[in-house]
Amino acid sequence: MNKQKTTSRLKSMIKNSNHHYMRNVSRIFKYGVIGFGRNIWLSITATIVTTLTLVLLLATIVAGAVLNSTADAMREKIDISIFFEPGTSKTLLASMATTMKKDDNVKNVEYSTSEEMAEMQMQDAKDKGKQDLVAAYELVGMDLLAKNQPAVMRVKVYDTSYLDSIKRIVNTDEEFREHLSKAKEPTYDSNSSTIATISSWADIATKGGIALSVLFLVISTLVIFNTIRMAIFSRSEEIYMEKLVGADNSFIRGPFLVEAMMSGIFAGVIAGGLGLAGYNALAPKLQSYDIKVDIINNFLMDPRNIIMLFLALVGTGMIITLLSSRLAVHKYLKKF
Amino acid sequence: MILFDHVTKSYPRDKHPALDNVSFHIEANEFVFLVGKSGAGKSTLIKMITKEEMPDDGKIIIGGIDLDYVKKRHIPHYRRRIGVVFQDFKLLPTRTVYENVAFALEIAGMSNREIERTVPKVLDLVELSDVAYKFPDNISGGQRQRVSIARAVARQPKILIADEPTGNLDVETGRGILDLLQKINDYGTTVLITTHDANAVNHLKKRVITLRDGKIVSDQKDHGIYRLDGDNDGISLPQPGHLHPETYLIREKKDTPRPRRRLIQ
Repeated sequence: MNKQKTTSRLKSMIKNSNHHYMRNVSRIFKYGVIGFGRNIWLSITATIVTTLTLVLLLATIVAGAVLNSTADAMREKIDISIFFEPGTSKTLLASMATTMKKDDNVKNVEYSTSEEMAEMQMQDAKDKGKQDLVAAYELVGMDLLAKNQPAVMRVKVYDTSYLDSIKRIVNTDEEFREHLSKAKEPTYDSNSSTIATISSWADIATKGGIALSVLFLVISTLVIFNTIRMAIFSRSEEIYMEKLVGADNSFIRGPFLVEAMMSGIFAGVIAGGLGLAGYNALAPKLQSYDIKVDIINNFLMDPRNIIMLFLALVGTGMIITLLSSRLAVHKYLKKF
Repeated sequence: MILFDHVTKSYPRDKHPALDNVSFHIEANEFVFLVGKSGAGKSTLIKMITKEEMPDDGKIIIGGIDLDYVKKRHIPHYRRRIGVVFQDFKLLPTRTVYENVAFALEIAGMSNREIERTVPKVLDLVELSDVAYKFPDNISGGQRQRVSIARAVARQPKILIADEPTGNLDVETGRGILDLLQKINDYGTTVLITTHDANAVNHLKKRVITLRDGKIVSDQKDHGIYRLDGDNDGISLPQPGHLHPETYLIREKKDTPRPRRRLIQ
């Protein structure tokens, strides 16, 4: 009997309550915006922490991309140089190149005869403005210069860790053994440490970049969560009072989420601005150290990419702040 | 209007129950003081009415609603039917006086036009029209309590609960607040006030229920009709357990007098 009567009264209470969804949403937004302004110091703190997170995240991603691209570029530069006796003919070099290309690890083979090497040496001296050297070469004559210049074969490989098969070709193939320079050893041994270092850097850049990004994201989410939780803790009485007056959870939670969302939006825009400004300031210096930033420059050439970057930052900022705020408010909504 | 029938409540860490077999009935339009020292169980009783706490045993019926059957999702709707005033006011510090009062109407989904029409009238009732756009920090304690009362009555509830409403105020200001609560009661609202302030009780001379160690030790109207402590001058009184919620619920619906006048026109 009691249950029936109570239920019917509760039903009529709910029916009589004015349920105006849009009216409530607009009030939630209004109080969220007003709350952001009236709790300006808390809002600023949340925005700063979120901005720092996003800047760190952005820096990690950019650093990963730049390091990867630099490592790739350096890998491109690395080749194994095999030297042959001066005067080794182009036909012979072509034949040896064909043998070398049969190896699966070989990406590309280039070669230069002694004459071509002498030409290159002369051109290099001219390009660098070394007039004394140019005069000396002219004095010696190109023919004599070529006679003392070994022919060179440059081999690019896919994987710098496995050079055994190339060494085997160089040491066992008849043509190679017959024409190898006696004065100059192939360079794969001297380059191996450089190759290994660059490979490990590239590896760190790829795997470490992802790990660091995830780590930063987790740490910063915790920091933001705690910042927002402390901010909401100071307003827990408000939540208590609102519940006692009869506000439902969504009406109480709403303005807090709007405030968090605003922090996320501002943080995303500020982080994007700081990121672009920081990159523009650092890029020339990085280039001077031979670090390849072309990948980022190319990305930033297209205005659509810049818009996408800002949207991604704003989105990430909003997700972090909304999640933190929701968790923090939930605790007090449950408590009272 | 408010029925407690054999209500018991214990907290895990306490040796004695906060409320021990408490039974009383407050009729519609009554004005009742609930008195007792700190720890007597007054706040627990108020928390039962606002459904912040649930009894371990017994039944509570408020305004014809059996609280046993009020589910979690119903609580906001239920709370909108009762007005609550606190000793520490519990105002929203970042909202103006006007916004604090309007908040009670906004959560009920009232239109902006209705709110703009109602809030000035409520502020006029509590004599706060001149501080409508001030923040709670910038007004006096008495004014803050008036804001709290304005917020509680803005939706014209049938029941107003005031937990130590004069506790933080000087005697003169406290009397002003009690007179305001009396005025609200005159319009037909049932008022229940907890207090340990003898001045407040003597000022209005209304029914007084006394709690001690979680038990009702006296329930006395100004005529002494409701004394339940054995010193009732031979008047025959129904003992705890006489209140049959089933009967009460039906009677409540039939007999509850409607408020004589609307508090806010």
